[in-house]
Amino acid sequence: MSINQALQSDIFLTYVAIVAGLLIFAGAVLGILYLLGKDVSAPARTYRGWLVMIPLVLGTIFLGREATIIGVALLAVIGFKEFARATGLYNDWWMTGAVYLALGMLTVVALVPDPRLAQPGWYGFFMALPVFVIAAILLIPILRNRAKGQLQIVSLAILGFIYFGWMFMHLGFLANTPHAYGYLLFLAFAVEINDIAAYTFGKMFGKRKLRDEISPNKTLAGSVGAVAVSMSLPWLLWFSFPHFDPLHLILTGIIVGVGGQLGDLVISYIKRDIGIKDMGTTIKGHGGILDRVDSMIFVAPIFFHMIRWFHGVAL
Amino acid sequence: MEEWEYHPPPDIDASMAETLRNFPREPKMLPYTIRSLASLLLRGWMRTYHRMQIDGREHLPEAGSYILVCNHTSHLDTLCMMCAVPLGKIHRTFPAAAADYFFSSLPRSAISAILINALPFNREAKGAESLAVCAKLLENEGNILIIFPEGTRTTTGDMGRFRSGIGRLVAGTDLTVLPCHLEGGLRAWPKGKVLPRPRKLHLRIGAAQTYGHLEKKAQSVRAICGDLEERVGGLGRQGE
Repeated sequence: MSINQALQSDIFLTYVAIVAGLLIFAGAVLGILYLLGKDVSAPARTYRGWLVMIPLVLGTIFLGREATIIGVALLAVIGFKEFARATGLYNDWWMTGAVYLALGMLTVVALVPDPRLAQPGWYGFFMALPVFVIAAILLIPILRNRAKGQLQIVSLAILGFIYFGWMFMHLGFLANTPHAYGYLLFLAFAVEINDIAAYTFGKMFGKRKLRDEISPNKTLAGSVGAVAVSMSLPWLLWFSFPHFDPLHLILTGIIVGVGGQLGDLVISYIKRDIGIKDMGTTIKGHGGILDRVDSMIFVAPIFFHMIRWFHGVAL
Repeated sequence: MEEWEYHPPPDIDASMAETLRNFPREPKMLPYTIRSLASLLLRGWMRTYHRMQIDGREHLPEAGSYILVCNHTSHLDTLCMMCAVPLGKIHRTFPAAAADYFFSSLPRSAISAILINALPFNREAKGAESLAVCAKLLENEGNILIIFPEGTRTTTGDMGRFRSGIGRLVAGTDLTVLPCHLEGGLRAWPKGKVLPRPRKLHLRIGAAQTYGHLEKKAQSVRAICGDLEERVGGLGRQGE
């Protein structure tokens, strides 16, 4: 990945055209609704959020491999910070600092080349890093000679690193693969479409709640509709990964359709348990970073290991 | 199994602008790191560019909360006072800053809140409310409040009358007040100039005062203001 390759990549340019087209279309629909006298203030706020986020994401991928990995790492850092603040882990600066340090290590490991395989991204160390990080986090109470409340802090720190850091950073590691543009852009696009489909189908046909104790807004109809849309997306966007068999396309559809919603539900029950509505206020009209990337945290690592299974470590 | 307790911060739903204006502030790692580094740089800059000299550091109490009161000639006053307190206390040092000026826009709020650790003070309408915030702050052990009782920067070099806030804050309490005088601020950075000039700054810190023996009355408020005015002025005359 580099600026030159992005300019020559049909996949990258096609996605830019698709997303630009969709943005213009959505803007036009909002404009017409506004002229018809409808109240569009809430969707307009969300739309403005997209107008900032989409150029940022595309611009980062355009800049190349390093920018993409660092960009995903920044999202992981902000995501972890939101989680740490919401749970109160943030009050413990030792533990929060240790996880920040670990996230930095993770980024370095994703950036440097593998000494054995001579390819970008130190795959072996990336996969083994949780062992060392968990060990280090467990050591901190010993170093500080503390016991009271440490189980909660240690558990939250490990969950924070593994889930919001390591699992999410698989997305950044995809930038090291030869098909990076197709994988990254497809995932980013499909996961968001999946979210929007769940919302739209839920609004139109939703009656039965999917998980009423976790999220009052998610419905069975929305969920089924989203899986159906997500199952069709890999076929429609097959150009993103021309080397995929139909089996891979089906698996990709399931991973995005089911995994995306599971990621959403995970954040939902975390928020419910804590008793907050949004994870933060980073993105106007969307909530915190975690409210936006929650679906990706489930999808990215499973998709990553699916292609690794079929196409080897070089992906 | 015992249930876990979560402690989400009260400002979790606040926007960035609100977070910056909110007071008291939550301790946060990034602002603390930035502020610590900025304070180090500031000390270096003040010592070299302005050849800053500080007398009377020995008057600063080791423990407890206290108030630093100083004449106000330029923005350098605040920066110079921040250099006078021990570096370890920089996150608990709060210069009272006019909310209508220092918190009027997002970039200004960011500088005031993160670099200066300023306490947003309402000069006009809600002065009493702001004084209550100050009083609450000083209840906690180890906080330092920096106040410029003139309320605005001088343009002539003559010290203005002290406004009543400081008197109302300390009358009848055991709060410690240290009068300070900064010389050279007006020459170094007059109101209206974009950048400071390399002129010498000389800060004198006076002996600690308390006004617990005076009752909370208008008369004693005036007496305290007069006394502090006299002491700050006296420190200034030491240089002549």
